[in-house]
Amino acid sequence: MRPILLKGHERSITVVKYNYDGDLLFTASKDHTPSMWRAENGDRIGTFNGHKGTIWDLDVDRFSTRLITASADATVNLWNCETGEIIHTFTHHGPVRGVAWSDGCQMFATINDPFVGHNAQISVYDAPIGADSFSDVPKLEIDLPKQSDGKVVKPTNIVWLNLNEALFVTFDNGAIRLYDPVTGEEMEEFFPHEKKINRVSFNKEKTLFITSSADFTSKLYDVVDLHHLKTYKTDRPVNDAVISETKDHILLGGGQEAMSVTTTSGKVGKFETRFFHLVYEEEFGTVKGHFGPINALAVSPNGLSYASGAEDGYVRLHFFDKSYLDMKDPVPEDTLEGEEESKE
Amino acid sequence: MAPTEPSLEEESAALDGYFSDTPLAPKPNYPTLRETFETAVIITNLPKAPAAKVEKLTKVVNRLVSKIGPLAATDEFSGLQLPCDPDSGKTLGFAFVEYQTAESAVQAVKSLTGYALDKNHTLTAIPYTKATELQNVETGEFQEPEPAPFKEKPNTSKWLEDDGQRDQFIIRQARETIVSWNDARNPPVVDYDGAREKEAGVAWCEYYVQWSPEGSYLATLVPSKGVILWGGEKYEKLQRFPHSGVDRVIFSPCENFILTLSNHREDPEAIKVFNIATGKLQRAFPLFPKGFLDEKLSPQEKAQIPPPAFQWSHDDKFLARMGKDIISIYDTTTFKLLDSRSLLADGIKEFQFSPKSNILACWSPEKNNQPAHVDIIELPSRKKLRQKNLFNVTACSMVWQNDGTYLAVKVTRHTKSKKTFYNNLELFRLEEQGVPVEMLDIKDAVMALAWEPSGNKFAMIHAENPSSTKVNVSFYNMKKTTITPGVGKKKQTQTVTNEVNLMETLPGKQCNCLFWSPAGENIILASLGDSASGQLEFYNVKTKSLVVKEHYRCNQLLWDPSGRTVATIVSQPIQGGHFKFAMDNGYILWTFQGKQLHQASFETFYQFQWRPRPSLLTKSQKNKIVKNLKKYEMEFDKADKELALKLKLEATSAKRALRTEFRNRLARLRQLKVQQKEEQIALYNGYDSDDESNYVTKEVSIETIISSKEEVVA
Repeated sequence: MRPILLKGHERSITVVKYNYDGDLLFTASKDHTPSMWRAENGDRIGTFNGHKGTIWDLDVDRFSTRLITASADATVNLWNCETGEIIHTFTHHGPVRGVAWSDGCQMFATINDPFVGHNAQISVYDAPIGADSFSDVPKLEIDLPKQSDGKVVKPTNIVWLNLNEALFVTFDNGAIRLYDPVTGEEMEEFFPHEKKINRVSFNKEKTLFITSSADFTSKLYDVVDLHHLKTYKTDRPVNDAVISETKDHILLGGGQEAMSVTTTSGKVGKFETRFFHLVYEEEFGTVKGHFGPINALAVSPNGLSYASGAEDGYVRLHFFDKSYLDMKDPVPEDTLEGEEESKE
Repeated sequence: MAPTEPSLEEESAALDGYFSDTPLAPKPNYPTLRETFETAVIITNLPKAPAAKVEKLTKVVNRLVSKIGPLAATDEFSGLQLPCDPDSGKTLGFAFVEYQTAESAVQAVKSLTGYALDKNHTLTAIPYTKATELQNVETGEFQEPEPAPFKEKPNTSKWLEDDGQRDQFIIRQARETIVSWNDARNPPVVDYDGAREKEAGVAWCEYYVQWSPEGSYLATLVPSKGVILWGGEKYEKLQRFPHSGVDRVIFSPCENFILTLSNHREDPEAIKVFNIATGKLQRAFPLFPKGFLDEKLSPQEKAQIPPPAFQWSHDDKFLARMGKDIISIYDTTTFKLLDSRSLLADGIKEFQFSPKSNILACWSPEKNNQPAHVDIIELPSRKKLRQKNLFNVTACSMVWQNDGTYLAVKVTRHTKSKKTFYNNLELFRLEEQGVPVEMLDIKDAVMALAWEPSGNKFAMIHAENPSSTKVNVSFYNMKKTTITPGVGKKKQTQTVTNEVNLMETLPGKQCNCLFWSPAGENIILASLGDSASGQLEFYNVKTKSLVVKEHYRCNQLLWDPSGRTVATIVSQPIQGGHFKFAMDNGYILWTFQGKQLHQASFETFYQFQWRPRPSLLTKSQKNKIVKNLKKYEMEFDKADKELALKLKLEATSAKRALRTEFRNRLARLRQLKVQQKEEQIALYNGYDSDDESNYVTKEVSIETIISSKEEVVA
């Protein structure tokens, strides 16, 4: 599996994302310019020039026409994917950490960090398909003041659940909260982790989600019951985890924290992509290559390739070997000779 | 004028001060009368000397008792009295002694009790007050006390009866202390993790743990209280040894005694020896023997000097420690100095007991025109079996082979200028008459030396420069095999002579420690410690196979007692403050061939220890097993296969259950999703993402020429 090295960014990668159809790959880094690539061969189609800060997150709509980017320069830009031009800039009160298109792509939600005199916020903006003027005033704003114990919690990720039933927000204290996207009311709060949730990602159907945390674990939950299903343990902080669409596999990326990387040799940073079995929680393989912690992972919707972006500034686009694609589940479908029927 | 009587005034003036109104002190300065008898001691079991010899005996006893302190001698009484039989004039076999101070009396009771005056007379000293008490003891019928009810002790070797011949190990991690089984194939299985103590809300262990040498007991240290001993199938509490501030324990090799140590330099009872079976304190010692620390040194310099360690002899008979110019050897039956005197060893730097016999080796550096020397001394006879003089010695280090067959002494010597150093080895053969010594010259600096357990080989790390990163590892054999090829009718002969010879040298290695497998043959060349690479080379000296692995930051390597599995460990000291390794903390288990079996990581990892096994088989029994190895091999292979199959089936069915459960859940989720489809399409203004007609399918064929070849067709 020789990867295609995408050398388009000058600083550490923060997100890599496939579009819905899986033919395009979007990447963002701390160098202010998100890029769009052809997923098939790694050709760069273009860049989105205009931000003045780190791009923390991006989301492309269902039809791959409009891109939204969240930047540390306290703005969210809406881009025309085809031309790379800014359609509109939405100004925020603080560095924007996350953006997400709603189901239907008629509106999007953002989260921003607290900034001088302003609390962290969740905002929902209207952006109907085909519109050419936009309101700078969010249609919903949820303030996230200091908690009763005086601690500031920062949101880390935002996602819309199916049918826009709820806004799903992860926090740096290990919590996940659900908000009503109309009223802004908090519907639910639970703590899958004790430390920061770095990333959360869903399967395509949005029926399962997996959290990646600084507590060295990733956890799989079911979206409907918010039931904890599986835990994947590693020995380094996990920065991103994704669920394969075609196989019962999980890909985990992470590694020693960037701040302590210089004190250790590359061999021990554990900068590999780790492959776990979705159900049995067993690690069965790793892919090496990066020389900094992996910050972002994405599996192509067709399950034939995956991309990883790391602190080292590279995106590696891997195409799976036939042996991986032909790999069978370790447990055969038919019961083995002498195997006891499982007790119901 | 007639002379007049001097007036009263004049008279009194003249006599002023001569008479006084104050009454005279009626008491002269007598010594205060002692009303107690605490300065008096009675010594019994003295010889009954005939009248002619009374004087001589008195002299002897006087010399003995006055050594302890000055006697309360007056003009009439010398402070010592040996009462005589008025008829025969023979002494009655006891003496009264009176000291000036009560302290001396107490000291006398201590030192004179058990003092052997001669072969037949071992003295007993009792305070006089005690004697009067004894006089008043009522004499009644002796009643035998009820024997304490029999309490069955847990079987401390139950774990050895394990069906799978598995080995055990213990780990200390965060607040957990866990004993696990290792079968050298599958991941470890927990045997006991202190569940009972957790339930009761008490800590099973707060500090380090220590297995006893034969694996019967587990000692856990609670620094504020002492040491607790656990054992048996369920890890029951067997014994408690109070010792606040305990930092370390040393078991005696036969598990009869346990020595507990604290770090308090001033504490006169920093080291305690307990009897394991009874739990009784046998004796306590300070960390440093008297006179060990030079009084001239500053407190800082003193703090630099580590206390000399106690060593047990292999059979628990002796306990010894080095002092200044002496080795103090204690007999463990009484915990008194063997033959009441220390072993003199002028200038001694280090001593070591042989692991299998009551022989000790010690070395002393050059002193007063005497060369440095290594001595081999037999106990309890104190006979010097061998003395080897050495010149220009800077340092020596001694390594016993585990059967005590050989002793290697690495000698670091200096040239006349004392600027350059060189090494050589002195190899002692203990099993031969007269303990012959062979000298092996090595130009290089020797960094480590290790004997093959129960074998004749040793390995050592050496390099020209001790700071070089690439080092050489050499293997030597103490027995030389010469093969004389057969000539004509003569058969080929093999002769084995006692001659050390080089087997092979592996050049350019990266290692700083050597670890022989307990079963011999296999050795690991490891590079351990802070600045090292963590490289592990598994080498077999017979087949010469070499496997290179790595465990980054690994700082400890431990073979299991059977030599099947080896553990490499990254741990941190329990006192904390060391988060340097936090990321790498944990252990890896490997087979002796270097195949990784299991890895575990922990945020805080303090200790890993294999449970030692007693060696129960004799040499002939072992040989018999080696002879029938094929038969056992087949048996074990069969059992292995059966177990593997069973485990595989169990794992498969467990996984299958998990998978079925997971699939059911997914199916339900999918169903919910399908129900939402209409609404979802509505959100996208009637666009159905799953409708294939929304997509245009294009077929693109790409031709790639992999290689081209031109051939001339004739």
